[in-house]
Amino acid sequence: MIYVNWVVALAAIIFTVGTIGVMFRRNPLIMFMASEMMWNAAALAFIAYARQLHDMNGQVMAFVIMATAAAEVGIGLAIIVSVYHKRHRLDIDEISRLKG
Amino acid sequence: MVGIGILGVLAIAAAIGVITARQPVHSALYLVANLLSLALLYLDLKAEFLAAAQVIVYAGAIMVLFLFVVTLLTAGKEEHELPEDLPGQRATAGILSIIVGIVLVALAIKYPGTQLKVALPSGFGGLNSTGKLLWGPDFIYLVGVAIMLLTAALGVLVLNPPKRERLLERRLAAQKEHDATAETRKGAGKEGQGA
Repeated sequence: MIYVNWVVALAAIIFTVGTIGVMFRRNPLIMFMASEMMWNAAALAFIAYARQLHDMNGQVMAFVIMATAAAEVGIGLAIIVSVYHKRHRLDIDEISRLKG
Repeated sequence: MVGIGILGVLAIAAAIGVITARQPVHSALYLVANLLSLALLYLDLKAEFLAAAQVIVYAGAIMVLFLFVVTLLTAGKEEHELPEDLPGQRATAGILSIIVGIVLVALAIKYPGTQLKVALPSGFGGLNSTGKLLWGPDFIYLVGVAIMLLTAALGVLVLNPPKRERLLERRLAAQKEHDATAETRKGAGKEGQGA
């Protein structure tokens, strides 16, 4: 028998792998892909709970997550490209001057 | 039942592949595998519309955009990493994120969920019920998403504007050319009058 909370545990594992990716890698593109995985894990948890509670609002939230991720990818890739045009290196430490 | 287990293992393996691959292209391909297995999982969780949207939007549009940028920025380049600014940052971050993961998984398993085979109300998860919610009670989310996407498009235009100097140069050159032709025309007119 498969229970819904196993799917939520899978979402938690994927979220953690994404966190580790964001923390460990220094290539901004790979960090960005890891954060995409974290978005997807959140959407998976929403859909699993929508299945458990028989409530379509969870799926609507997953739809909103998908649209937000699309907007985020557009902005983030634009930032990465413009930073690369200025510094000619793909390394997240190149942007460390943004800190306050 | 077995299918969900296989999909879960595939998703986790692809996720680990994303963060361990050396080349960003390999990361992107692993991410496509991860997204597709998640789309099949959505299908198993009776979210048919979202499964289709996941394949079209994520595995289609977003990943193609990613691959374009990866090939634009890293084509034929070997990056060597500079020494780290913060020693010990990776170890600390890794330990902390593994602790967070263990806590999340423990919380997920602690509260029992229902079985996946429980019968659902008819029409659950299709395009129809999603659309009824999005154009009914949750219309505000749809408006918010629309405004957000528009803002994102504008933001991309602001972040990567067309080259200002080149535009100005081109405009100056056009102006000079225009002036020159006007001069010659005027000169020709004067000569004609003089003659």
